[in-house]
Amino acid sequence: MADNDISDFTRSMGIATSGLRAQAGRMRVISENIANADSTAQTAGGDPYRRKVPTFTTQLDRVLDAKTVALGRIKPDQSDFRTKYEPSNPAADQNGYVKYPNVNPLIEMTDLRDAQRSYEANLNIISATRRMIQRTLDILKA
Amino acid sequence: MAISDLPVLSALRTRMQWHQERQRVLAENVSNSDTPRFKPRDLVEPKFNASGTQTGSMGSLAMMRTSSGTNIAASAGGQTFDVNSKVGFETRPTGNAVNLEEEMMRVSANQMDYAAVTSLYSKSLHLLKTAIGKG
Repeated sequence: MADNDISDFTRSMGIATSGLRAQAGRMRVISENIANADSTAQTAGGDPYRRKVPTFTTQLDRVLDAKTVALGRIKPDQSDFRTKYEPSNPAADQNGYVKYPNVNPLIEMTDLRDAQRSYEANLNIISATRRMIQRTLDILKA
Repeated sequence: MAISDLPVLSALRTRMQWHQERQRVLAENVSNSDTPRFKPRDLVEPKFNASGTQTGSMGSLAMMRTSSGTNIAASAGGQTFDVNSKVGFETRPTGNAVNLEEEMMRVSANQMDYAAVTSLYSKSLHLLKTAIGKG
């Protein structure tokens, strides 16, 4: 290790931590979508809440000298809004239609599970790395 | 000659370094399991000859470490990284080819092999202690 003294185990931990952070950010975006699944516009005929899509990017961590993951830009979902015929709703347009957010709770729940699994996978890496470090320290005790 | 230069111990040490490095590569794969166009990588196993000295291509690993400023993927030699042959078969529409289950299997295999190597290392140390009459 010529140029820096960070061990590979520390790097593994750092990389897995970046994964945890990115997945937690993704969870935040998903929970925002679920919470706003019925947020209509305040004005008549206006646009409701637009679903947000989290993206991931790989970046080079110069301290760890490793490729870590980060939450990229959070982009709006460009798909069409759902419309419902509700003339009594204050957000309804002249024809009586209300635009509802383009959030599908089923998709959000699936995404949430996916984020949860990825989070667990990263946690698994951390505990595996910790066990390996423990084994190295056990050499001293032998 | 230092104790750690004994063929058995130095071979075990190389192997431990390899497992450390591999753990890092696997952590990269797992943390990028949702990054578009990311292809998982793995390390080539080190090869040892009969006397315990290493014959394979682990040397290029050191080259990879020294290039801190550059992207690792760019500097990685063809010999160091073992590109998964099943990539392309498992690729998702985003271009990501990480299979989490497979990576988990690799991580636990890596951890168990590492445990085996460390216990062999302490057994070898024990052998030396027996030889000098302290066993």
